[in-house]
Amino acid sequence: MPSVLPILFVLVIALGLMACAALFTPKGPQQVLIRTSLMLALAACYLMWMVTYLAQLHPLIGTPARTI
Amino acid sequence: MSDDYPSLLRSEQMSLVQLFVPTEVAHDTVAELGELGNVQFKDLNPNVNPFQRSFVGEIRRVDEMGRRVRFFSTQIEQEKDVVPIRPLYDSAPLIAVGPRAPQAMDELDVTLAAHEQRLTQMNETYQKLSERTKELIEARHVLRETAVFFDKAQDHQTDIRTSFDDSSAPLLQHDDRENQYSLGTSVQFDLEFVAGTIERVRVPTFERVLWRVLRGNLYMNHTDIVEPFVDPVTGAETRKNVFIIFAHGDALLAKIRKVAESMGATLYPIDANADKRSESLREVEGRLEDLQNVLYNTGSSRRTELTKIGESLRSWQDVVRKEKLIYETLNLFNFDVRRKTLIAEGWVPTRDITTIQLALRHATEESGTSVPPILHELRTQKTPPTFNRTNKFTEGFQTIMDSYGVASYQEVNPGLFAVITFPFLFAVMFGDIGHGFIIFVAALYMILAERKLARVDLGEIMGQFFYGRYIILLMGLFSMYTGLMYNDIFSKSLHIWHSAWDFPSNTTDTKLVGIDNGHRYSFGLDPGWHGADNNLVFVNSYKMKMSVVLGVIHMTFALCLQFPNHLKFKRPIDIYANFIPQMIFLQSIFGYLVICILYKWSVDWSNATTQPPSLLNMLISMFLSPGKVDPSEQLYAGQPFVQVVLLLLAAICVPWLLITKPYLAWKDMHKIKEQGYVSISGEGDGNGIHRNSSDEVLEGEEEGNGRDIAEDGDDGEHEQHDFGEVVIHQVIHTIEFCLGCISHTASYLRLWALSLAHAQLSEVLWSMTLEAWLEPNGVFDWIVLIVMGVFWFVLTVFILCLMEGLSAFLHALRLHWVEANSKHFEGGGYAFTPLTFANPDSKE
Repeated sequence: MPSVLPILFVLVIALGLMACAALFTPKGPQQVLIRTSLMLALAACYLMWMVTYLAQLHPLIGTPARTI
Repeated sequence: MSDDYPSLLRSEQMSLVQLFVPTEVAHDTVAELGELGNVQFKDLNPNVNPFQRSFVGEIRRVDEMGRRVRFFSTQIEQEKDVVPIRPLYDSAPLIAVGPRAPQAMDELDVTLAAHEQRLTQMNETYQKLSERTKELIEARHVLRETAVFFDKAQDHQTDIRTSFDDSSAPLLQHDDRENQYSLGTSVQFDLEFVAGTIERVRVPTFERVLWRVLRGNLYMNHTDIVEPFVDPVTGAETRKNVFIIFAHGDALLAKIRKVAESMGATLYPIDANADKRSESLREVEGRLEDLQNVLYNTGSSRRTELTKIGESLRSWQDVVRKEKLIYETLNLFNFDVRRKTLIAEGWVPTRDITTIQLALRHATEESGTSVPPILHELRTQKTPPTFNRTNKFTEGFQTIMDSYGVASYQEVNPGLFAVITFPFLFAVMFGDIGHGFIIFVAALYMILAERKLARVDLGEIMGQFFYGRYIILLMGLFSMYTGLMYNDIFSKSLHIWHSAWDFPSNTTDTKLVGIDNGHRYSFGLDPGWHGADNNLVFVNSYKMKMSVVLGVIHMTFALCLQFPNHLKFKRPIDIYANFIPQMIFLQSIFGYLVICILYKWSVDWSNATTQPPSLLNMLISMFLSPGKVDPSEQLYAGQPFVQVVLLLLAAICVPWLLITKPYLAWKDMHKIKEQGYVSISGEGDGNGIHRNSSDEVLEGEEEGNGRDIAEDGDDGEHEQHDFGEVVIHQVIHTIEFCLGCISHTASYLRLWALSLAHAQLSEVLWSMTLEAWLEPNGVFDWIVLIVMGVFWFVLTVFILCLMEGLSAFLHALRLHWVEANSKHFEGGGYAFTPLTFANPDSKE
């Protein structure tokens, strides 16, 4: 039964990972760079996955049809 | 959170420093600072003619050395056999600093002059000898060919003499018969001919001219010289002919000679006597042999000279370049005659001040003097250059963002975020696991072979790819991820998880329809869509909506970057007058659209009461008929009211954006007018023009209040509160933003367009090459399969990876430059260009 729950679930995971990146990046000259990059990458990847999953949840087009 | 280190978020903090450098140690100080590459010197003598500056003499000397070095370099390049040049990292260093430096430079000068003189002398000799050789070869040809003529003529002569008693045979007519008779049968041709060589192309013209001038009273014979003559200097080939012209009478001969010389022929003295001719031939050949020997020796000694030069050429080039830079920099300093010091001003990153101090101390030690240069920080109102400290990873990203414009000092640097957003947006347009893997591997190779490749001159195109190797690495990585999302690997689909669609295997229909089995494909597009007829219908809808979603989120993110800028530059007005109305406008229209997209996807329309509405129509009717929503096409309850509210919000934002700032500026102006004029130079903000020396002097003398020497006055320091300008600026800004919102959102649809093109190209390539040959029966099929396979791979790399890659690169860059930067970027800064000896385009 397709539901919206996986999206929220993965959102929580992504947010958690972003928080880890925010808090646990080691201090040093590259801290800001690493932190920003990790958070942005996680956010971007989650967004793309979320949109892809959501688009297929309740397909509006109908079903795929193939002619042989 | 991370104030310990400066980050890529903003430009590093820069300080204006003043250096007091005693003259003895000046050269070494600049050399040391050049090696560090941390200081950007200001020109303290802007009004001085370049020919009147203090170090003009030294620069001239260095220029002369540079010219000599360039001369050597061109001579070496011209050699047909390659002369080895020892690369810089292998050469012995030339000591150009320290107490021995002037002697070393003098020695270098003398050495270079000596080499040059020897080389030019050898070149001249070689050229002269070559010309002489050419002449001798021509002479030899002439001798040979005329020998043939004379032999033929002799035969004729005997024929004629036997057949005619009258010795007035036309060709061989001779005035002096006595000579003829007295010498018997041997034929005398007493100087009644002219012989020489002429270029082959000129021969017909020559003949015609001579015929006309002499009215036919001549006999001319000519033959081709088979081998072409090669001009030693230019290497051009000319083909020549030997000619011999017989005529009688001095006047005619003189005319022939004149005509010949005017046509560029070379005349050679040929003796009529056969013996004398063969003697001259032998002489010519002997001389030719000698000349060839000498030429060979000169050539080889020249080569040895060039090889010796090649050993040290690179270190000379390096020293000359550095010295030139040092003296040019020294020319920028201010020479304080009273205290015998040079005063320099420059920008340095504040963090690097200690390193510079150490370098200064090091320079003093090296030069052996006891008076160190002194560094002195100044306070100034001038805008420092923008400096973002990059490493080999971030360098590429920062460069591509800087190409749009250098960020203002302390403004938020878009390069930091571009490290991830750029490869990501590229990947959305490029998404294919296979192609992403190919470019990932290519970048990986370049990175692993970094050291080796950095030394080689890769050429312009490959050099660019090498420069962006980390960008390409991330692009490949993200492309593999988006390829997983689009479920596309070389135009095929992966079937890793449980698909949502079951296709019945035993149907007699020509159409196979998938049946929903309740699963949903976990990561990416369901492989059930691959090969379906309505595949594109679904995928296009998905990709277009995704593009809008990603676009609006990217623009919102870019807009939010305005906020730290306003905080940093202490412009709270801008937050209320610019940032907030912009944000509300963007979100109330396009943020609403994104939410509707996501909401519409999350509703199960097969169980809903209404039909799924077209979002595009919904948005358009929101504007055209606000407050009216057809209940059968409603997306959610209460929609008309919400849409009206959002529309009103957007409508308020436009005048808000347009009017607030000009109104506040107008109020300010009135306040100032009421208070009366305090000062001419716009002191509305109350800042003085004081320039105190900083209390943070880290070493040495306090000179009271050191002043910033190059006082440019007040230009560019204070904004003119010209009211008209503020209004115009704000109008432009408002229109640009509001119209831009719509056009930029549509612009993000290129994410869809390019990924569609990429997928279709990939599919076409597969179906046109490999698809038909996948089941080979027999040798021929196997051969074709292999050939097609190679063809497919080559086209994949060149068209799909390179061409499409460049295209997606360009579009992703455009999205960053135009759509994202226009939301927050000010870009009024100038780049930090320190004096550095590191040569970015060194050929080693």
